[in-house]
Amino acid sequence: MKCFHKVVLLSFTAAVFLGVANLAAQRTVGIAMPTQSAQRWIQDGHYMKKILEERGCKVDLQYAEDNIDAQVAQIENMITKGDKVLVIAPVDDESLTNVLEKAHTAGLPVIAYDRLIRDSPWVDYYATFDNYKVGVLQGDYIVDKLGLKGGTGPFTIELFAGSPDDNNTGFNFRGAISQLGPYIKNGKLIVRSGQTAIEKVAILRWDGATAQKRMDDILTSKYADIRLDAVLSPYDGLSIGILSSLKSVGYGSKGKTMPIVTGQDAELASVKSILSGEQTQTVFKDTRTLARRAADMVDAIFSGRSAEVNDVTTYDNGRKVVPAYILEPVNIDATNYAAVLVDSGYYSAAQLGK
Amino acid sequence: MIMVLACLMLLFQALTQGIMFKPMNITNLILQNSYVLILAIGMLLCIVTGNIDLSVGSVSAFVGAVAAVMMVNFEMGVVPTILIALAIGAAVGAFLGLFIAFLRLPAFIVTLAGMLMFRGLTMVILKGQTKAPFSKAFQALAAGYLPGREWNVDGLNIIAVVAGLAVSFILAFAMLNSRRIRMRHHFDPVPLWVDVLKIASVVAAVNLLTYELACYNGIPVILVILTALILIYTFFTRRTIAGRHVYALGGNERAARLSGVKTNRVVFWVYVNMGVLAALAGIIVAGRLNAATPKAGVNFELDAISACYIGGASASGGIGTVIGTIVGGCVMAVLNNGMSIIGVSVDWQQTIKGLVLLLAVWFDVFTKSRPQSR
Repeated sequence: MKCFHKVVLLSFTAAVFLGVANLAAQRTVGIAMPTQSAQRWIQDGHYMKKILEERGCKVDLQYAEDNIDAQVAQIENMITKGDKVLVIAPVDDESLTNVLEKAHTAGLPVIAYDRLIRDSPWVDYYATFDNYKVGVLQGDYIVDKLGLKGGTGPFTIELFAGSPDDNNTGFNFRGAISQLGPYIKNGKLIVRSGQTAIEKVAILRWDGATAQKRMDDILTSKYADIRLDAVLSPYDGLSIGILSSLKSVGYGSKGKTMPIVTGQDAELASVKSILSGEQTQTVFKDTRTLARRAADMVDAIFSGRSAEVNDVTTYDNGRKVVPAYILEPVNIDATNYAAVLVDSGYYSAAQLGK
Repeated sequence: MIMVLACLMLLFQALTQGIMFKPMNITNLILQNSYVLILAIGMLLCIVTGNIDLSVGSVSAFVGAVAAVMMVNFEMGVVPTILIALAIGAAVGAFLGLFIAFLRLPAFIVTLAGMLMFRGLTMVILKGQTKAPFSKAFQALAAGYLPGREWNVDGLNIIAVVAGLAVSFILAFAMLNSRRIRMRHHFDPVPLWVDVLKIASVVAAVNLLTYELACYNGIPVILVILTALILIYTFFTRRTIAGRHVYALGGNERAARLSGVKTNRVVFWVYVNMGVLAALAGIIVAGRLNAATPKAGVNFELDAISACYIGGASASGGIGTVIGTIVGGCVMAVLNNGMSIIGVSVDWQQTIKGLVLLLAVWFDVFTKSRPQSR
């Protein structure tokens, strides 16, 4: 017991002294990313860290493994640590209002990265790809490959959308439907499951396993004797699950070719899948350019300038219209992967097994 | 465990170059972990009866979702919403308790079913989306501070300082009083200096805490709620007949029943109580995030259970204290917070926390397996 009391007393005296000797961090950028379970976020974080460190900033990069509480706590701790700017890709876009209030009180500017943070007046900038355009590219690709403009059809299709709590999901799905919708209406595209509303087709947390299950169920109940021609998938991680499901019922083997399956993010596994003739398409969003844009915004904030933006009208988060820099996504399939992915150095030929 | 907690805080104070004890961080620690501690108190009672509750995370999310719908869609007031939410928690607890206490199904299985059901219902209610925002009054419960923040001297919040002094005065008086009672009954008296040292360290701890809080925003509302719960449940478990029944039942159910304890009812009410506390935690989580989300409360049950075991509760029932559980919860809290500040990623945090849990239980078993003297 004696020992216990000594430890307690000692600890408090020491704590008070150490508390005084706290070091203030200089030009530290706090980067809060959603998860390390998806390749793109690892790359995003990695590039941004590299670029910012080259420009003389300290970087405090943290991943929350898709846990909302963990991310809120991480951001609070960044504020406590004295980070000077926050770059946040939210796990949940509506759960950060209170913590951004704290950031504002502490005088920290906030940049929303890829996913817009909703319902907070304290979002200074938004760097993203044109998510509506991503959907348009996916939808248009399906229309094009099936030859719907030439009046062919009817074809069967099933739709998938991203996580319902992600602001991007709506933009993306509306983009795709802007292309597919007219053909669904005139009967040239048939959704046999009947599930076309976004809340029916959304996949919580962009989880590939959930998408696989949904595809399994639809194939069993609706496509036992009819061929499925196309699947609108919003993201490579879902496409992989969907492809596994399709393979399990025999697509991609003798005489039963794979349907058209779209994707997004050009993840390594999915580019390989495209090369081996399984997935058909993906949308490439060069995370290096996005990371550089965000880094430019951080730079501008540190030097007291306003950052360069190219859209000040579209991204209303419910409390303000957030000034944004919007980047253009690119279509990728087996015909142009080399030119876009390999030549730009995003992947090496060796990585793709070529 | 208190010693471990103190050492841990010191360790992180050094590793984080003084950030651990910054007033803002101490406040964060309280705000970030209050709901786990609240759940842990309820969980302790379940564990003491020799059972467990795996459904609390889902129940928290479910109640948060219902409260969100009531406030956002039906525009109900804050007070009725909170009351109805707590009642729903009690109903959920009664539902699970019915199967465990009266139909004698294993708690593990019943609450596992509850965990799946209420997670599912949460998604149904929210349609997979996040519901927000709430009124300031609702958020205040989780993220607010006691009024009187404008009364400052040298940047120190008067209310917090006074509260600290008052609490330490009461604690010192209570401890001296219990010493006097021990003396009067000729129980083996501890040397005076040990008691004085004990009181001094408690007073120092309380005042350090309130001083830190006074430097920042004052006393968080949630700390008041938490303190009240700790006092109530400490009193309940130590001094009331019902409280002792819980321990008697956990120690030896047969003996308790033969002595006239209505064991079924005790277990039933323990689960009703857990339901209410899970509801309270759900309200607080929703208020803190200012949103109800389908994934709120994932793994809360595991945090609460860890807190109990690290705090010295026994997996076979009958043993465990409220204070011990709170200290256990604080150990986890400091680990979480400290590692997050240093920048350890969540994957490694989980690995380390798992290891700590294992060590704590091993330590517990190891020290208890020594022959006990009568």
